[in-house]
Order: sequence, then structure tokens, then C-alpha cells
Amino acid sequence: MIRNYVKTAFRSLMKNKGFTFINVLGLALGLATCLLIVFYVFDELSYDRYNVKADRIYRLNNDIKFGGLENSYAITPAPAAAALKGDFPEIEQVARLRNRGGNQVKKGTQDIQEDRMVYADNSIFDIFTLPMIAGNPARALVDPHTMVITEDMARKYFGRVNVIGQVLTINDSVQFKVTGVIKNIPKQSHFHFDFYMSMPTIAESKSAAWFSNNFGTYILLKPGADPKVFAAKLNDFMARHAGSQLQAILHMDFKTLEKSGSYFRLSIIPLTKIHLQSNSVDEIEANGSISYVYIFSATAIFILLIACVNFMNLSTARSANRAREVGVRKVLGSPRSALIAQFLTESILVTLVGAIIAVLAAWSMLGLFNQMSGKDLTVTPQILGWLIPALLIIILVVGCLAGSYPALFLSGFQPIKVLKGKLAGGFKGGMLRSILVVVQFTISIILIVSTMVISNQLKYIQSKDLGYNRDHVLVIKNVWALGNAAKTFKQEVRQLAGVQGATLSNALPTDENGNSTTYFKDPVIDQKRSVLTFDWNIDEDFIPTLGIKMAAGRNFSKDMATDSTGIVINEAFAKQLGYANPVNQFLYTPADQMATKTTKYHIIGVVKDFNFKSLRTNVTPLVFVLDQNIGDLSVRINSADIPSLMAKIKDQWKGLSPNRQFSYVFMDDNFDALYRSEERMGAISIAFTSLAIVIACLGLFGLAAYAAEQRIKEIGIRKVLGADISTIVNMLSKDFIKLVLIAIAIAVPFAWWAMHGWLQGFAYKQNIQWWVPATAGVSAILIAFLTISFQAIKAALTNPVTSLRSE
Amino acid sequence: MEAPMIKITDLEKFYRTEEVETIALNKLSIEVKTGEFVAIMGPSGCGKSTLLNILGMLDDPDEGSYVFNGVEVAHFTERKRADLRKHNIGFVFQSFNLIDELTVFENVELPLIYTGVPSAERVKRVEEVLDKMQIMHRRNHYPQQLSGGQQQRVAIARAVVNKPKLILADEPTGNLDSSNGNDVMELLTDLNEQGTTIIMVTHSEHDARYSHRIIRLLDGQTVVENIMI
Ligand SMILES: Nc1ncnc2c1ncn2[C@@H]1O[C@H](COP(=O)(O)OP(=O)(O)OP(=O)(O)O)[C@@H](O)[C@H]1O
Ligand SMILES: [Mg+2]
Repeated sequence: MIRNYVKTAFRSLMKNKGFTFINVLGLALGLATCLLIVFYVFDELSYDRYNVKADRIYRLNNDIKFGGLENSYAITPAPAAAALKGDFPEIEQVARLRNRGGNQVKKGTQDIQEDRMVYADNSIFDIFTLPMIAGNPARALVDPHTMVITEDMARKYFGRVNVIGQVLTINDSVQFKVTGVIKNIPKQSHFHFDFYMSMPTIAESKSAAWFSNNFGTYILLKPGADPKVFAAKLNDFMARHAGSQLQAILHMDFKTLEKSGSYFRLSIIPLTKIHLQSNSVDEIEANGSISYVYIFSATAIFILLIACVNFMNLSTARSANRAREVGVRKVLGSPRSALIAQFLTESILVTLVGAIIAVLAAWSMLGLFNQMSGKDLTVTPQILGWLIPALLIIILVVGCLAGSYPALFLSGFQPIKVLKGKLAGGFKGGMLRSILVVVQFTISIILIVSTMVISNQLKYIQSKDLGYNRDHVLVIKNVWALGNAAKTFKQEVRQLAGVQGATLSNALPTDENGNSTTYFKDPVIDQKRSVLTFDWNIDEDFIPTLGIKMAAGRNFSKDMATDSTGIVINEAFAKQLGYANPVNQFLYTPADQMATKTTKYHIIGVVKDFNFKSLRTNVTPLVFVLDQNIGDLSVRINSADIPSLMAKIKDQWKGLSPNRQFSYVFMDDNFDALYRSEERMGAISIAFTSLAIVIACLGLFGLAAYAAEQRIKEIGIRKVLGADISTIVNMLSKDFIKLVLIAIAIAVPFAWWAMHGWLQGFAYKQNIQWWVPATAGVSAILIAFLTISFQAIKAALTNPVTSLRSE
Repeated sequence: MEAPMIKITDLEKFYRTEEVETIALNKLSIEVKTGEFVAIMGPSGCGKSTLLNILGMLDDPDEGSYVFNGVEVAHFTERKRADLRKHNIGFVFQSFNLIDELTVFENVELPLIYTGVPSAERVKRVEEVLDKMQIMHRRNHYPQQLSGGQQQRVAIARAVVNKPKLILADEPTGNLDSSNGNDVMELLTDLNEQGTTIIMVTHSEHDARYSHRIIRLLDGQTVVENIMI
């Protein structure tokens, strides 16, 4: 019986090749897109899940409001971990990571810059699932100057995996013994360190300072421990341990501090939420964003919805043409159940074909999608494990929904009515179909508006005057590693033709760099008269080289010996200070961690505010102090022949340090990297929007064809009576355009609201202009009109003799 | 002598499908004078409807000449034909061909809209013909709500509302019982007496007797012409 249904279904589908094609294509496109997004979303949701104990692991956060700033930090005081373990029986284990940035690692005579290096407590192996290929996880990082490296690094430096006992030299001076080799860190991890150096190596690890935050602290709770109960005890914990230091530094206790509106609080975040929901200061890596996961999921559902709506629309439209067939079958004695089975078989068959095409398409587009999304998605057996059942469910649900209307509606009709053709008339209006068309276009228009807003904002970011000039600036990395020769290198580079200026600094506006420090207005520390600020070390060439403007006072000068205690602040800082003229005022900052002494600075100048962080945030206070032999060298070039200039700079570098790796970036590339996630969003949403529109148009195309077919006789009559082609095209398009207009009315306010929300994530934004929704609406109408008019013109050109003959 | 309204000479029309070529009209020559009432008869498939469609400029011939009111129209463009058609020719079909979504009034009004008659004038003229066809009381009904005879009267009303010089009727009584059929024939006769030229295809010898002349076709050629009066 089933075979017979399938055979009949197949024939009927082949008879209407055009419809079948459009139907299958639309569904396949939609499903394929949806699959890609599902891969993406699942990948994002799987971060840090590789840890067997993931559900019991938490990271300690430090929430600080002080000196006019309020922030959550991913780094915490050094003594916190041990104190936590001592105080709380519900804690099974704690571990710290101290990220001091990159180092040079020696391979033969070469020094190679490695950025994924970290100091770690041995207990990380108790908390995280970092399987050791060689070495003893119980002891690997217990002794100073030992290190655990990943498989890849073992191969990179030694050409093999088991390298226990081998020695690696860091920064040409310190030697570490390799005591363990672990498997590479999975991609879906919030950290990807390659070198884990033993914590006891650094004196800082034993620091007792509670108001110096440098350590990532991870906590493994015992099974059954309630994280909420635990988190509620953290404030008392802080007061217990840090109270005396607070008293020593600020001369007050925690309660008084909180009353004055400032606080230092500890909190915890589940490990599995770090990637998507944590956006603290000093995260190890730039994390993902839950809002993109939401947006993408919504888009996936939207597109699947459009595709399914199409599918149902076209299926039901087509089935009206089969009323006669149903009538004949019924007269010949076919039971209703057989008809229902017939229609359902047909529609499930089409869905199945669509799904198969979709899987193949998604699979072949994976590479392209990876490029756009910056992901590295692959189809694993694990994915197939849920994908196949999910697809089967989708096939059944969509197939049944699409088939159910004709199945139940048509099969329930009295054969005599159907044969008389009464049905076709009643079916034409198709309220349901109109609603579905409106739904599709609403979604498409929302997507068009969103895409336009995103790309406008990106353009705005690209073109906004940031208060400094990032074009033609070459940043040579890790010049500090040259030690005292850094200055020499700078001088030599400055001498080269094509170089306009060069400056050494430990932070740059295109890197989220620089330390946070608190400055006070008085030598005796009073937290009410403080400013929490970023603190950059620069040389006297920094401000002119980057094109930053002075608002008052002067820049550092080589000729002023006293400038080593000078300080330049930005306008945001000056505003918080509140002096009418901040130049020649003084600032004080603790000289040690216990604030037993302070260092005094003389404000010599104020720079105009420039955007040194992403445009998502407002400009915050920033100070410059003078230093040398530091950080990276930024070189402003005005040469057209960049390759030869680069070669010359590299020669200078090799002359000073033959073994060290020379690496550089262009500042505007770095700037772009700050907005990479938005840019990806932009590219992906353009792709999705186009797809959604294509799918919606496929549907409209099919429906217009159907409508033209339904009205072919009427068109013939009208032509006989003298209607010309434009009248007919108009008549056929009008109904659909009306639906698109309704869609615009629904979509525009919604899209405006949604994208307005997205823009709130930017401190600097281009508000939605009136022409954005206007363009979206007009293009929707145009696209719809073009799609329909193709069918309408075809119908209008048909010789009426032909259409009237078919009676 | 007065020039004929219609003069076709050696008219040919072929239909090609994948395998066979059908000759629907084979070197056919006919003349129809202004004011005539001509019936065309012949067995099924002999080319009657094809001829009528060409006369009505809905279709063009493959060979031969068609002179309408002194103008050669055989190779007119679609647009020119449509223009000539809507001002000069009215159609009546066997299956009425009313538009189901429009009321009686709106159906009859259509040709006036397409020839650009202003709205007030349209109302007047539609009411006039509906009155004449005695279906004024049905003006707001839809075609499905009418009997076959009434529908055909609406179709005739629609065909004449533009005061065409020529009415082409393809088996206008084919779907009607004899009493309704006779009514329709009376109407056509009246129109003819008021000066409209009528060419009618029919299978009924009874209906054919209303005409002045019968042209008999066989395999796309004229066999006999009987003059009735
Ligand atoms: N579009 C077409 N394609 C192919 N053949 C056609 C087409 N239209 C008509 N014919 C053929 O041309 C011939 C004449 O057809 P036509 O419709 O003019 O006959 P008719 O005399 O009106 O017949 P009836 O009395 O049954 O209405 C027939 O053989 C028919 O099969
Ligand atoms: Mg015929």
C-alpha cells in the first residue's frame, strides 16, 4: 500500500516539476541555513564542557566600584585561593592562573615569541580535564622552574611528544624543565595556553596583598555543594581576610566603604557561562556573546519558518488544482483515509528530498560559513547523533503540517462539489495563505532593516574620528625584549627614509592593554578623592606620533629632567578631578601594595579624549607617565614602498638581536580586530538576509504562478474584452503588494525596536535613520513586484484563445 | 457596390504539435457585408472556432489576407489588434465566460472601462443594456447565482455595451435549453435588425435559420453557402 502511495506521489510530483522544484529548493535552502546556524550555536554552547567536572567549577570574580569606576574583573588577589580552601569545607580544590603575557622561547638558536603562556598552580589538573600524555599530574607543577606543555608545543620544540626532562629557555635567561605534556586544549575552551609554568617560580604567587588583582582563581566545589549558599558567604570572607589591609590603606572598614558607595566584592561565575556571559575586565581571551547566540537562534528559527511556510503555502496552493482528482477518486470509492495517506506521503516525500539536499548543501557550505563566522566547525559523530533524529522530526512535522491542510480539507469535501469546480473558487482567497505571505515578508523586512543597521554602525565605527590617527602605523611587537637596546632600535628606525615618527609604549588604543591604577588628590589617601584610571607608560614621541591633540599644558619633553615625575592626563580624568585648571596640580599614587608610601606626580598636560577602547564604551580616565625601553614600537610611515621599508626595519632588528623573532601588525588591522565580531555579524546577517529573501521570493514566485494559473481564464476574458497587458499585470500584482505593505507595517516598528536595543551596546552609535526602514520597505516591494510581475507578464501575454479553449 | 466589412482571402491556419500538423483552415475565402447575419456550420473540428477567433482578432492567421473595414489586419501587432477589437467587436461564447468574482453589473461594465469611458457614462450605458436584456433586477448578483439563460443574456449585454459593429458568437445556445436558446436568438436578431453585423457558429439547423446566410465548412474549407433570404 505504502509503495503504491509513494509511486503515485512521485508521479504527481513529476507532473508538476516547476512547483516541486521551487518547493524542494526553498525548503532545502532554509533547512541548510538552519543547520549551519544550529552547528554554530551548539559550538558556542559547548565551551568548557570538555571538563568532566564542568558543572562544579566556578571562577572567582572581583567586582569593584572605586574611584568613579565600576567594573567586574576576571582577576583576583593572590592569597584568595588558599584562603578560600582553608575557610570553606565545601570547596574540593582551588587553582590559580597568572597570565603575564608572552615570552620568547628558545628553539636551537632562535627565540620564538609565544603568547599563550601562563603560570599555574599544580591543582589545575585536579580541576580541569587536561589529560597528561606524559608526566605525573600530581606533581608536575609543584617545583619552581618546571613546566607542562601541550602536545603541539612538544612537537614544535622537540619534534616528538614525550619530552619529560627536557629544558626550555625563556627570554634567553630562565630555564624550565618540562615535567608534563598534555593534550592540546580543545577549541571550545575559554583559555588556550600552550605553556603552563609552575606557580612557585614567581615570588608574586606568595603575595599577601588583597588589593592587587592579578590572578585568575578557579574553584571546584564538592558534589552537592550549593553555589548560591557559597557565594553568599564571600563578602564576609573578604572582610575577614582583607579588612586589616583596607584599614591600613584607606583607614576604614568594609562597612564604611560600602556606605560611601564604593566596594570590593567577590563573586563567582560558573565555568560554562564564562564564554558566553562573562565580559569582565582582563578576561583571558575575548569571549563570545550570548546575544549573538540568541540572534542567530532567532534567525535560524525565522529562516526555517519562512521555508516551512513556503512549503506549506505552495503545497496547499497546488492541492487546490487537484480537487478534481480527489473528486474522481472519491466517486470511484476511495475512502477518506486513503486520500489523507496519499497527500501525507507526498508531502513527507518532498520534505525528505529537501532535507537530504539540505544536509548536503550545509555540508558543502561549512567551509564558507567557517570563514565568515571565524569558527572551525566540523561534522562529528556526536553532532550526527542528535542531528539525524532532529532532522527526522523536522521532516515528519513539516511534512505533516504541509500535507495536513490539503489532506484533511480536500479529502473531506463532497465529491460532487469538487467536481463542479466550486472548490477552486472558495479556495482562491486563501486567508491562510495571505497570512503566511505576510509572515514571510515581515521576517524578511526585519532582517533587511537589521542588516542595514549593523552595516551602518560598522561604517560609522570605521569612519569616526577617534582622536588619534591609526592609518599608516606599523606596530613592531615586543621591542621591550631588546632591553636597553630598545631605545637604540627606536633611534635607528627613526632615521630610516619613509619613517615619520616612532614611539615606544606599553599600551596602544588598538590593544586592550594597560594597567588600572588609582590616583589620589592628596598625599594622605582618601578614597573619596580618588580616580581609578588606566595607566600607560609612553615616551615623549607618543602623543605626536599617534596624532593625539593636547587640550592644555604640554607633552613630555626630552629636555626636562623633571618630566620623570610628570604626568599627562586625558579630559575624562580631568573632569573627574574637578579642578578648573588641572595643569600644575599634583597627583599621588600608592608606591607599594600596602600604600605605606605614595609617589607624587606633577600634571604637566591634558590630552583631548581619544577612543582608546572599543566604541562600545565611553572614554574613561587615562594617564600617561614617562618610561623607556618598554612595550611595542609604533612607527608612523609615509613611504609608498612598504615592503622595502619593512625589510630595512627588520635588518635593524636582526642587527641588534639576531635570534629574536621579528613580528609586527598594522594598527588599523588591529583596530578592525576590535570589531571583528560585529563585522562577522554583519557578513553573516547579510548572507542570512539574502537567503531569507531568496526563500521568500521563491515562495512568492510559486504563489504568483499559482494565482496566475487560477485566474488564467479570467485573464483571457479580460483580454478579449480589451484589457491591455499593464492592466492585467497590475491586477495580479495588487493583491500581493497589499500583503507586503501589511508586512512592512508590522516589521518596521519591530525591527526598529530590536536594533535600537542592539545599538545600546555601543557608547558611540549612529541612530537609526528614517531612510533605513524606508529603503527596506521599498526594496521589499520592489523585490516582491519583480517576482510577481514575471508571472503576471507571462500570464498577460498568454493568448486568450488558449486559455478560453481549455473549458 | 458597398465594400464588405470582412473579406478574407486564402486564409490558412496550422497547428503544430510534436508529431502532427493540423490544418485548421485551408485556403479559406469568405466575405461578410455590413449588416449581415451569417451562420457558420460544420462538423466538430472543422475549424469553425479557429475562424471565429481570427475574425475576432484574438488569433492571427499563418497565411492569407484579412481585410476588416478596408484595412489589412492579418499581420497587425497584438496592441493594434487589441485596439481595433475593443472598439469594434463583441464576443459571445458557448460557456458564457463571465468572471465569477464580479457582479452582473461589473461584468457588463468591463469593456467600457477598457475603452476608457468615464464612470457616469458607464453607469448609464450599463443600465441601459441591462434593461434591454431584462436582467436589471439581477444587477448585483454574481454569475453563479444566475441560470444559464440569464448568464448568456449578461454575456450578450457585455458584448453589446460598447455598441460594436460586429458580434461574434461561438455556439451561443450550446449550453442552453431550447426555450432559453430561442430567447438568445431573438436577442441577436433584434441586434442585427438595429444594424449590428453578426457572425455565429452553431451546430443547430434551427438556430441557423435565424441567419441570412449559412457558410458550411469541412476540413477548413468552404463547402456550400446557403442564402436564407
Ligand atoms: N491550439 C490548438 N492546438 C492544436 N490543434 C488545435 C488547436 N486549436 C484547434 N486545433 C485543431 O484545429 C482543428 C479546428 O479546431 P476548431 O476548434 O476550430 O474546431 P471547431 O470547428 O470549432 O470544432 P467544434 O465544433 O468541436 O467546436 C481541430 O482539428 C483542432 O483539433
Ligand atoms: Mg468550436
